[in-house]
Amino acid sequence: MKKLLITLLCVSPSLLLAQGSQVNLQSPKSVGMGGAGSAYFIDESSIFYSPGALSKMSHNAVSVNGNGVMFKSAFQATGSSVVDHTKNQITPPFSVFATVGPKNTWWKAGIGIYTPYGGAVDWGTEWTGKYSLVSLSLRAIYIQPTVSVKLTDNFSIGGGFVYNIGSVDLQSAVPVYFQDGSSGLAELKGTGTGTGYNVGVHYNLNEEFAISMSYRSKVVTKLKDGDAKFTVPEAAQGTFPPNSKFSAELPLPSTFAVGVTFPISDKVKMAVDGTVINYDIYKELNFDYSGANTPDTHSPKNYTKAGSIKAGIEYLPSEKLQLRIGGGYIATPVSKDYVYPETPDNNRVLIAGGFTYKMNQKFDLTGSFAYQRILPREANNVDSHLSGTYTTNIYAPGIGLTYKF
Amino acid sequence: MNRRNLYIGVALAILSITACKPSLDEFTPSAGTKADFSKYIAIGNSLSAGFADGGLYLDGQKVAFPLLISEQLQKVGGGEFKSPFFSEEQSNGSGYIRLKALVNGQPVTEQVTDKLAYRSASPKLLTKFTDPINNLGVPGMRMDMAFAPGIGTAAGNMYFERLLPEGTPPTMNYFTYSTSQNHTFFTFSLGNNDVLGYATNGAVNEGPTTTLTSTALFNTLLNNYVTTLTAKGQKGVLATIPDVTSVPYFTTVTRQALLAAVNAASTTKVTDIYIATKTGPRAATDQDFFVLPFSSAGLLGVPNVNKIPYGLHPLNPVEDKYVLDTKEAAEVVVRVNDFNKSIKSIAASKGLAVADVNAFLTAVKNGIRIDGLSVSAKYITGNGFSLDGIHLTPIGNALMANVFIEAINKTYGAQVPRLNISDYRGVKLP
Repeated sequence: MKKLLITLLCVSPSLLLAQGSQVNLQSPKSVGMGGAGSAYFIDESSIFYSPGALSKMSHNAVSVNGNGVMFKSAFQATGSSVVDHTKNQITPPFSVFATVGPKNTWWKAGIGIYTPYGGAVDWGTEWTGKYSLVSLSLRAIYIQPTVSVKLTDNFSIGGGFVYNIGSVDLQSAVPVYFQDGSSGLAELKGTGTGTGYNVGVHYNLNEEFAISMSYRSKVVTKLKDGDAKFTVPEAAQGTFPPNSKFSAELPLPSTFAVGVTFPISDKVKMAVDGTVINYDIYKELNFDYSGANTPDTHSPKNYTKAGSIKAGIEYLPSEKLQLRIGGGYIATPVSKDYVYPETPDNNRVLIAGGFTYKMNQKFDLTGSFAYQRILPREANNVDSHLSGTYTTNIYAPGIGLTYKF
Repeated sequence: MNRRNLYIGVALAILSITACKPSLDEFTPSAGTKADFSKYIAIGNSLSAGFADGGLYLDGQKVAFPLLISEQLQKVGGGEFKSPFFSEEQSNGSGYIRLKALVNGQPVTEQVTDKLAYRSASPKLLTKFTDPINNLGVPGMRMDMAFAPGIGTAAGNMYFERLLPEGTPPTMNYFTYSTSQNHTFFTFSLGNNDVLGYATNGAVNEGPTTTLTSTALFNTLLNNYVTTLTAKGQKGVLATIPDVTSVPYFTTVTRQALLAAVNAASTTKVTDIYIATKTGPRAATDQDFFVLPFSSAGLLGVPNVNKIPYGLHPLNPVEDKYVLDTKEAAEVVVRVNDFNKSIKSIAASKGLAVADVNAFLTAVKNGIRIDGLSVSAKYITGNGFSLDGIHLTPIGNALMANVFIEAINKTYGAQVPRLNISDYRGVKLP
């Protein structure tokens, strides 16, 4: 029973690491173009997408962006006619970008606060895989001060330091049973911190054509003294002490991204971005428990490198309005034998659209909407033998307000 | 931009998103064409009846594996399935044991004595249930007894007597009763008790419930039974008999555990437990199986009139009936294998499906994982076996039902959906 619990505890924080948890919603402008545009949007969101481009921004600005992400998964166990659905739940990834520094000069500084990983999934306590996961909510908040420098008129570089505050809140059913027949519950809550960096270069051949490269380092987030609370019958409390502690290391992978942008006509521009995410650092997950009777564990994950390709088009019908559309394909880092219900991942397709409306000289309003479909995949988890087919739809409407000064 | 249109658009978008659950349609339930599930009956013993925790009671009846199978068959057009449920007022039926506490990991059980369903204390007789039923499982039923007269009388098996109308002639046997139901489909799981009764009594024959049925008799009776059940071309599933050493009744009380308990209470180190065998007393080995009730019998170490502690000296060994020794276990295993050969060969000759319960429980003994849940034959914490160490928990019953469903699908080209194990519980804890 103890081993079982440990196993279920181990599998959980993998969401931190999966594509399923990546929230590429930092800028609603980029989202509207399917996630492309890192070479194009030389504005405050370059702090995240391309620190090298930031110094090309002529003015200063503050932008605040919010999203409502709806992650809707379905699962059907192999040979069963029952389909389980996640509950309706909205998570709010957000970002704040601000720049400071003199206008029209060779450098620019800024700060970004954003949530590159996170999500919430709630399967409930009655579904087929409840011993693997009931619910998980997690967030990584990155705080990134950044400096960018123009080396020539065409070429600029930039970099920032990343401080991450990560939190996880997880529930799983425990296979011990109360008198009414209901199962026990484990709740894990913890926060941790980690550090990393974000660097980039930006080159524009002329006014219209530009290329950008950026590298965001891995951020190993250390969770210490997390609380493990067990709601179990009294007779099982020897095995599951009501108040335990756990610690773990959660490596958030590094990313290498290349973006290009070029005009199609006076009013139409196109951008293409490609990324490689080095998920292969996630080979296994180790857990240390404070309880003397609780054996430490490690569980294999064997993630692979993964990447994505995204493209978008922006159309300018008037001075005041920009319209966008885009799409992409994202490859999964999760191998078939290692699919867990917190990351029912597979390759996914993405379509998106958005607009920016210039309300006046000072304020821009940007809206976006992204839809991702994680393609159905039959998986038999090598560890839990939770076997079945998953599919997921993700809807992410977003809105951003920018103040320029 | 028209603001009202924008708002309406946003509202419509949110509404449509809420409706956009992803859908999956990976499995199409189907009865196939080879079997007719319109009237399914279950023939068997305590396992079929839903016996658990040392008793037959309503909660156990409600998760009896034939009932679980029938619920899935109904998803492909199977007919109604009636069980002889105890009433709510008498829901504890025969009575059963429940877990009162775990003291240092050792279970303390108690007998449930309220809401019982007895209409007579001596002889013990249960309240009758004589409406038509589909779950014909009778606790204690054996292959040899199924053909014997008198088993359905007040002097016979109280669970069978309960199902028969007043005034049923004593010549009515279980075979006749169970084969006259106008069934279209059946599951058949008799034969466990033809070895288990002998094994649980430490291979000591103390009467008709503890004899070891001969292979020749078993084969003849089974052939007779199945021929009758398939006389109109009906289809069904025959279950194999589990290896007795796969159940916690025999694997929980080990020599090591007994020695540890004795040494914890004694200052002089004890290294051997002595057992009585058919060829005289000897020191027990790790290949001898002590039965589960021995731990609660409180006999070990108790001195006799000659002040020799029970089980710790060849002159006062653990009685034969508490131990299935190596030789006896081997005898039982051989018999189980012989019975299973009969079952498989008769099933093959009649074109019937086989639910290999033996293979399944052997897998459980080694531990399996399904739907994210671990199930093993470990007493209480393994979640597969109820407190009596022989009969299944609801989880165990659901797993067992899936073994039958798999056999049905394989043999009859059906697509009966399997049960999701996480809908069921293991042992209830205080």
